[in-house]
Amino acid sequence: MTDALHGVMAEFDDPGGLEEAVAAAKRDGYTRLDAFSPFPLPRIAAELGARPAAIPWVALLTGLIGGAIQYAAQYWLNVVDYPINVGGRPLHSWPAFIPATLIVAVLWTGVATLLVMLVILRLPRLNHPVFAATGFERASEDRFFLLILASDPRFDPGRARTFLDGLGSRSVQEVPACG
Amino acid sequence: MPSQAATFTTPVAEAPLRTRYGPAWRLALATFAVLVALLGLTLGASWIWGVGLWGIDIPNVWGFDLTNYAWWIGIANGSSLFAAILVLRRHSLRTAVNRFAEAVALAAAICAGLFPIIHLGRPNLFYWMFPYPATYEVWPQFRSPLTWDFWGILTHVIVTGLLWYVGLIPDLATLRDRARRPVVARIYGLLALGWRNSVRHWSYHQAAHRMVAISMLPLLTMMQSIVALEFATTLVPDWHETRLPLHFVATGLVQGFAVVLLVAALLRWGLSLERHIDDQDLDLLGKVVLAGALMSAYLYAGEILLSALGGPSERAATLHRIFGEYGVFFWVGAALSVLTPQVLWWKRARLSIGVAVAVGLAVSAGIWFDRYSIVVGGVQYDYLPSLSRGYAPTLVESGLLVGTVGLFVVLLLLFARYLPVVSMFEERHDEHEDAA
Repeated sequence: MTDALHGVMAEFDDPGGLEEAVAAAKRDGYTRLDAFSPFPLPRIAAELGARPAAIPWVALLTGLIGGAIQYAAQYWLNVVDYPINVGGRPLHSWPAFIPATLIVAVLWTGVATLLVMLVILRLPRLNHPVFAATGFERASEDRFFLLILASDPRFDPGRARTFLDGLGSRSVQEVPACG
Repeated sequence: MPSQAATFTTPVAEAPLRTRYGPAWRLALATFAVLVALLGLTLGASWIWGVGLWGIDIPNVWGFDLTNYAWWIGIANGSSLFAAILVLRRHSLRTAVNRFAEAVALAAAICAGLFPIIHLGRPNLFYWMFPYPATYEVWPQFRSPLTWDFWGILTHVIVTGLLWYVGLIPDLATLRDRARRPVVARIYGLLALGWRNSVRHWSYHQAAHRMVAISMLPLLTMMQSIVALEFATTLVPDWHETRLPLHFVATGLVQGFAVVLLVAALLRWGLSLERHIDDQDLDLLGKVVLAGALMSAYLYAGEILLSALGGPSERAATLHRIFGEYGVFFWVGAALSVLTPQVLWWKRARLSIGVAVAVGLAVSAGIWFDRYSIVVGGVQYDYLPSLSRGYAPTLVESGLLVGTVGLFVVLLLLFARYLPVVSMFEERHDEHEDAA
């Protein structure tokens, strides 16, 4: 029975209820939790272990790498591998290499930030067990959901149900593993 | 508890999900689709028979093509900058304006990108700009501004598109969840990349959205500067000036703001979004356009002053541009982009849809005249008198300009039809924070 479940899910009316429920579940020793909300809730995300501060570092690092590669490529192609004398101007005309260097650094930043975000979030994917939950489509409108995953070491369907029932949720349901 | 979030989401989300959209939309789409067909025709002709179909010649090697390119880039930059700043400042205006400011930027960047490619003469070989290991064993010449354009436009279209798309993912998920027909739900679901509103996902998504917005800021100033530097790196007296990048960046921003105001007014009127794009939003947008127009006035004055202080040939070239054969374009451009927005000093004018539309169109047209004055009027006086020659566009070139306007409007009409024009999740977020 347990291995056929993705988890147990409770539905809340407002973000306050969800926040209290997350705190209670953590106090109770649950570690594998997920919450769903129609808009960003940074405090709950931090509670659930999100570390978005990594994203700006990814952006900075990829930007620097991209800019360095672009400058080095321009240098090697125009100075070393295929030098052309244009009216006696220096081959290494560094000011002319700057615009493309900066622009391509931005290109790397933008594309890498999105790709890294998708890798961290394990997206895109075509389906997910939570979509099978009744009423889950309102997670994108005005309802809030807390999910205790079956992979939690303390997970027991009956116990999780009872626990979530006691948190003042609208409803509690079991989410099957494959939809 | 009555769901406030639902009352805010429903009108925006229901618009793209409607199966019928009214005759006005279809009529507008059909009208502007004709212009897109014209664009296809003129692009095709320029492709097959080459740029000999255009009125360009020595010294007017750029003519309409670069005028239109610089003009569209201005719209793209102004509206992207506006969107990026709103995201970063978390300004309340962002929920109303952001989404379609980004859409305007993307559509304008696509229109802009067509011109340099077709100007190559052999547009199908544009990839020669990219350093790929060719069998000829030659590499692009990176000291040429032509290659800056390649990287600039490529980056501009991709990063503008990303900023828009990253912000759109959660709203696409909302449309997926509300769609009534399975095929519609499936299409929006694919586009939403399987977004499931996880709170953890939200926090990374917000960080990434802000990062892409931050990376837009340097990109925008660089993009217009690159266009301007392509002029400045030539030896033409009127163009060989360091003030040119500032002029292009600043006047381009006003133009972008004006187009955002124009589209905001039209969307509010066309989709009855008074609640989402409210009077305060229009008021603020009007003030931004007015401030931008004052900045343009300062730049025009500085331009005349600096050339008066310059060497004899620069002075003569600029005087020739302002008072010569093509001087009328300078004056009409300055009047439309600086004087018409002055009506926005009055609050009643700022709140009027008609005035917003008129000012938006006037400033856009004014900047086009300004670009034409620089591109064509700027080369009329050179060191060699024999180089002074007039320029007039051919029908094919005019068709390209009108055609890209058609493409721009069609892209925006499709956007207004199939995507949420206002950021729904940001509205829900603001609503929640206001209530807290």
